Amino acid sequence: MKTTKLNILPIPTFSHLGVNFTDRRIENAIYDNITLQSGSTDITKNAQCTLTAENGEHKSVLQYVRADNAVLIDTSVKVENGAVAVLVQIFDTTEPIVSKLNVDIAENAHFELVQLYIGGRDTVSEIKAELSGRHSGFVSDIAYKLDNNDKLDLNLIADHFGKNSMSKITVGGVMSENADKIFKGTINFKCSASGAKGTENEDVLLIGEKVRSRTVPVILCSEEDVEGSHGATAGRIDNAKIFYMRSRGFSDERIMQILAQAKISRVIEKINDPQTKHRVYDSLGWCDIYE
Amino acid sequence: MSEKTQIADIDRSLYDFRFEEDEQDRLSSGITPEIISEISHEKNDPDWMRKFRQHCLKVYNKMEMVKWGAPIDGLDINNIVTYIRPKSRMNTDWENVPESVKETFERLGIPKAERESLAGVGAQYDSELVYHNVRSEVARSGVVYTDLESAMHDERYAEIIKSHFMKLVPPTDHKFAALHGAVWSGGSFVYVPKNVNLEIPLQSYFRLNAKGAGQFEHTLIILEENSSLHFIEGCSAPKYYEAGLHAGCVELFVGKCAKLRYSTIENWSKNMYNLNTKRALVEDGGKIEWVSGSFGSHVSYLYPMSILNGAGASAEFTGITFAGEGQNLDTGAKIVHNAPNTSSYINTKSISKSGGISTFRSSVIINQNAVDSKSSVNCESLMLDKISRSDTIPAIDIKTDKCDVGHEAKIGRISDEAIFYLTSRGLSEEEAKAMIVRGFADNVSKELPLEYAVEMNNLISLEINSNVG
Repeated sequence: MKTTKLNILPIPTFSHLGVNFTDRRIENAIYDNITLQSGSTDITKNAQCTLTAENGEHKSVLQYVRADNAVLIDTSVKVENGAVAVLVQIFDTTEPIVSKLNVDIAENAHFELVQLYIGGRDTVSEIKAELSGRHSGFVSDIAYKLDNNDKLDLNLIADHFGKNSMSKITVGGVMSENADKIFKGTINFKCSASGAKGTENEDVLLIGEKVRSRTVPVILCSEEDVEGSHGATAGRIDNAKIFYMRSRGFSDERIMQILAQAKISRVIEKINDPQTKHRVYDSLGWCDIYE
Repeated sequence: MSEKTQIADIDRSLYDFRFEEDEQDRLSSGITPEIISEISHEKNDPDWMRKFRQHCLKVYNKMEMVKWGAPIDGLDINNIVTYIRPKSRMNTDWENVPESVKETFERLGIPKAERESLAGVGAQYDSELVYHNVRSEVARSGVVYTDLESAMHDERYAEIIKSHFMKLVPPTDHKFAALHGAVWSGGSFVYVPKNVNLEIPLQSYFRLNAKGAGQFEHTLIILEENSSLHFIEGCSAPKYYEAGLHAGCVELFVGKCAKLRYSTIENWSKNMYNLNTKRALVEDGGKIEWVSGSFGSHVSYLYPMSILNGAGASAEFTGITFAGEGQNLDTGAKIVHNAPNTSSYINTKSISKSGGISTFRSSVIINQNAVDSKSSVNCESLMLDKISRSDTIPAIDIKTDKCDVGHEAKIGRISDEAIFYLTSRGLSEEEAKAMIVRGFADNVSKELPLEYAVEMNNLISLEINSNVG
């Protein structure tokens, strides 16, 4: 069966790093067509989802993806002039899955994306946000908790076309045991995007000698009048923090758990629905926080 | 009428002069087994080198072009002459160098620099070294600085060359490494014995005068334990309309607790494809420092690589790239942390102007055995107009949790706030802009020896003419 190239880095780099693209076999399958409305939707099958926030409208949607029988989740979002859309996607699955998210953000429109990846044997996730309108905005807050043999390949591209458009990408997570993650984040300032601003940041906490974390934060710029920045930090828990917490009577195991929770909770706290929040904490095995 | 500030392109008049080609043997263009045999014959290669060249040609023919980086469609290797021997043979006395060659290097300031501030100089003209000299007191300390081909034929160094040549950059590394292995010619060999610290720098200067030609020099430097060296490399060529190719190779072996600084000012003309490979292997406690200024060439692929192979080894890369009209400069650095307690720091600046494209590309790999290692990458890009382009593509690959890695990048134009602040202090807008751009490039110029910092200032030519529109 033929493979499909996914998560293509907009400008390829050194081949030996293995980050330029990923190959996946995608079988022909039957898809559920789902029109997302405000509220929560469980996705358990292959689905093509659409979300439209019409002029001036405010929509907040939650997708809870349990991919027991799913291969591909394909979501299209259109945020029209002056509209605001918030999409929360929770990937709580052990099966391989491909998620595609395409977003078009019009003038004065704003799109907020919140994503949480809880494990995942082989997750490929591609996000393309097109900031086509003037003063359009895109904020994404993404977290992952990967352990055992979890594998995540995440490719986020923010294309700035509109004047004074703004993007802010925040990614963070915790990796342990044999977890393997690739994060590629691209801010692409097109020549029409004067006055645009874009920032991206990734902060990864690594726990375990066999983790592998690859990060490629890219800025492409063909417009002079822009401001772009990216930062990335990766590493172990700071010794000073461990010392302080030990002096307060915490065991090493508990310290790891608390610091991991701190990284992920930032995103979980953005989930407005209490039931879903409870479900997430259950899935993470962190019921004590909720209680 | 108040007119606009103009930041000039690099002043190339210093480098664009040319003389009649001073060549005796100009082999046919392209790359065939027969041409490789002719080069071997010309150089009286030992058996192993004859076989190695032919092996490299086979690897070259099998390998694909790189699938990333700036486009190199305008380069047709079948049109490139890979070997040109100048009439003059290698000299150790400057007076014996032919007049036109001598004048070339005198206009570039090389003999003056040798007299004033260098421990030794090598000068390559097209495919061959035409001059090599080292101060007698430096030679007495056991330092060897000679052309690579003489060293290969000298029984004292032949085995060292054989055991190190293209071991760090194998021909299978990429297509142009294989090409280099097949047609390499010229370059320097430096050996610094244990506990010898060379206070003043050595310098090699590479000049490509012939049109439609390639330069494929090989630089091999070996530093023994606890030694130190500053090596300076300069490159230039006059402008022709035919494409030229530079596919040199630099292999640096830095021993235990040794320290090597490798400074390069690259100013090839805008018809050149600069596809150079540089790599350093650093042992326990050793340090490699790269200082790199990329100003010339039509297309550049240049990513000096440091392999930190011993505990406590460290690498530092400081670079600046200035891409003007018609230039696509793809530069950066690669670091591999392959031992505990290693550290690396990459700090680069790039400026794009008049439609120039500058790309910063890096990779930092922290292997599983590199526990307690640290790395920091910092890159800043400045766009000086709307028709230029600037990209940053850094990559970090971490395979252990016991490390600390940070990365930071910024891209933008000269900020209005900074200009406002400086003008409020009495500077004109033009002066303020000039000061900001000079300050942007300052971190590299202050790392260079004085005479090279001056050359870099000439190169950048940050001329702000307050009344020029």
